[in-house]
Amino acid sequence: MIQSDIANYCIEQLKKAGADKSQCAVSFSEQKELNVETGEMSLFRTTFDTNIGLSVIVDQKSGTVAINKTDTESIDDAVKKVMDMAQSSQPDEANDISPSQPQQSFSKGDEEPNMDKMYQRLDEFMDYVKTTHPTINMEAAIVDFSQSTSVFRNSNGVEFKTREGMYGFSNMFTAKDGKDTSSFNGMGISALNLDTPFIESGSAKRLLRQSIEQVRTKPVSEKFTGEIVVTPDCLGDFLGFITGDISDGKIISKTSIYKEKLNQQITDPRFTLHARPISDEITDGYFITDDGYTAENSTIIDKGVLKTHLLSLYGANKTGGQRAVNGGGAYVVDAGEKPKDEIIKSIKKGILLERFSGGRPSADGEFSGVAKNSYYIENGEIQYPISETMISGNIQEMFNNIGAISSDRIDFGYCIFPWISFKGVTVS
Amino acid sequence: MNIPHDISQYNHHFKDYTELRVQENRVARISLTNGDVTGNVSSAQSGVSARVFKDGNWGFSSAPEFDDASVGRVVKSSTENVQFMNLKDTSRCGLILPDMMAEYEMDFSTKKPRENQKYWVDFAREVDGYIEKKFPELLSRNVVVAGTDMEKSLSTSDGSKSYSLTPRSFLVVTVAIEKDGNPVNLYELFGGLGQMEDNLLKPSDYFPKLDELVGRLKQKADGIFPKAGEQNVILDADLAGILAHEAIGHTTEADLVLGGSVAGDLMGQEVVSPLITLIDYANTFEGETCPVPVYVDDEGTPSKDTVIIKDGVLKSFMHNKESAQHFETQPDGNARAYAFSDEPLIRMRNTAFVPGTSSLEDMIASIDDGYYLTKSSNGQADSTSEFMFGIAMGYEIKNGKIGRAIKETTISGIAFDVLKTVDMISKEMSWSAGGMCGKKQWIPVGMGGPAIKCKVNIGGR
Repeated sequence: MIQSDIANYCIEQLKKAGADKSQCAVSFSEQKELNVETGEMSLFRTTFDTNIGLSVIVDQKSGTVAINKTDTESIDDAVKKVMDMAQSSQPDEANDISPSQPQQSFSKGDEEPNMDKMYQRLDEFMDYVKTTHPTINMEAAIVDFSQSTSVFRNSNGVEFKTREGMYGFSNMFTAKDGKDTSSFNGMGISALNLDTPFIESGSAKRLLRQSIEQVRTKPVSEKFTGEIVVTPDCLGDFLGFITGDISDGKIISKTSIYKEKLNQQITDPRFTLHARPISDEITDGYFITDDGYTAENSTIIDKGVLKTHLLSLYGANKTGGQRAVNGGGAYVVDAGEKPKDEIIKSIKKGILLERFSGGRPSADGEFSGVAKNSYYIENGEIQYPISETMISGNIQEMFNNIGAISSDRIDFGYCIFPWISFKGVTVS
Repeated sequence: MNIPHDISQYNHHFKDYTELRVQENRVARISLTNGDVTGNVSSAQSGVSARVFKDGNWGFSSAPEFDDASVGRVVKSSTENVQFMNLKDTSRCGLILPDMMAEYEMDFSTKKPRENQKYWVDFAREVDGYIEKKFPELLSRNVVVAGTDMEKSLSTSDGSKSYSLTPRSFLVVTVAIEKDGNPVNLYELFGGLGQMEDNLLKPSDYFPKLDELVGRLKQKADGIFPKAGEQNVILDADLAGILAHEAIGHTTEADLVLGGSVAGDLMGQEVVSPLITLIDYANTFEGETCPVPVYVDDEGTPSKDTVIIKDGVLKSFMHNKESAQHFETQPDGNARAYAFSDEPLIRMRNTAFVPGTSSLEDMIASIDDGYYLTKSSNGQADSTSEFMFGIAMGYEIKNGKIGRAIKETTISGIAFDVLKTVDMISKEMSWSAGGMCGKKQWIPVGMGGPAIKCKVNIGGR
């Protein structure tokens, strides 16, 4: 059966089995992946998969089953199972599916990978690293091409078809000079094509150069309260607390510190955060949400004001809040006015935080963790790479104590972030 | 999907060195938030994969269907992939992997009748109902009942054959309370190896433990900020296990050693206190089955314990066949894959410090001013062995006695340095069975240990 027929069959069978409402997502995917392992390109993977996700509501009770088989017998078993699961659950009037929307088809990226080009780009990257950065040990580097076709249907008549093809590149490495070793570092990007050499992508060049400097480090000499410049590579670690705190789990359980903060100032007014899953700006976005709506772009924090929680249909129904027009992710932070180098020059005493190894922030935003692959800044100059240095603070306070936001940003394909300096962070 | 116990009938498709694996991962999860069912999910992902090795390169392929034709297709696709690599690079031509032979079957599925979905929803509701009734002052309650079965069958061109069904199941309870307008939360995980029917017997079994959990939450809500900086601490088993796994274990995985980890230059040297012996157990500790038992790995190598550190001296790295060949040693069965579509990677199994001779009480009594850290929230480590662990629960120690609870914090240090400061190790052993380790793929791991006394850096303002 083709995907549309499978989706139709699933919805019909669920209806026959007694489902009040149902939805079904059917996807076929193929991934090609070239792997560098411990410095050598030595593994080529091809994986095929299918996925059928079935969700039903019976008497306001819900259940979800996922399988990766498309034969009739497996689907019939899955239908039986999901009905049993839903009937075993508890009624909740917040359970629902998306309403009727016009049928739409979406398409993005190549249909087939260019394997020779994938090999050539990875080979070229490894050659560059070996030639120009001989002390780098490339533990892993992966280039992949993922292509998928999917159909989403629900019993309200929604039908979306999607085809996507996307390249990805990621790496992980350390520098080793004699017996001295740097912390590991790495980055990942998504791309629609292989036009740009990997070394020019994301933060690859900067991180490789820094790793070489970081084989010899020292701790900061004293505990102080200063300004940290958070790079685009680790800004997501801090933003994740805010976006997690405005999502279903925290809002429903009432443990979010932002639950009553809609349309209020929650960060410095220079800070603006968007989720742009369908923007041309974001390569690796998405077209439809998990609960069956076409995704739209949104501004989550506009000049410091929280404009929306990231509630799903269920979360919105459960809390009386507004459903978000997307499922989060595809984040873009607006650029500031100063180049990052000028921001660093303005800092009297602080840290350039390139990677953060932190404990999960407590529910009120308190955090602490180790500054990795990072540098001590004094009198506007980067002094030396650091180790055994902890930073601590409170994330909601941090975003209200922004020093500056850089005009330069890094585009990782799945997010676009600037450098941001935060004042009043404890360094020890 | 029916996973045959023996798939060697498909070996006729092999031409070169080949590993063939048929696998199904089944996951079931019921989540309650403040009494509402917010998750009621089941999934089964299965299929067949083949990995082919020739002239120093690997080809891998997987597909969700499993029959003779599908096996033929994945072996062909893997072979074409390795041929593509061999055409591009001949520099490792002639490389041969060590021959390993094993034949084993192990099935940890329950022998009891399987309960239906309603039973487990009601189980979770009874747990939740108890907390709601007894502790109405709580801000929120989250109860999760979850189980994962990994069932796999392997056949290799070396002649290895294995079948295993390794389930894990858990009850996870998270409670939160409001303190000064801010939420404070704490979780506890119960369960481990085995299906739900064997692990989660009666909701009432957990009531005393839930009382203790809420008691600890209230202590934590009233907790003090720990003093930042280097402190004397006792890391209870949960923390010692994560230290063994994250901070030392990863640096001794041979692929990370080849990637430049600090342990690469330390073989045969005294790297930590001579009180310390660190072992990655394959499947059994003192006659008891470990949380994540592995008898044959996914390359067909029979599993045995890897003694990483013996009396303070670094003795071994963990290997797959290829790294063992590189280091001219034998693999111990550490090559493991998570899903049917994943290739085996060098992974830990059940990593733990070997218990010592001290009692926990004597260890606490030996500290005038320090901390007893009992529960982690997360952990990360580095090629340098520098680590960071979130501390979800802990207490101050004053004049040899447990004092007030502390607020959440983190600890950090260079593991090889921190473990030089260990001067007492408890005789009690405790395993943590809920671990998932991320390294390209996620994989279940066991961690554990006794309590250890050492000096670490505590974060805080």
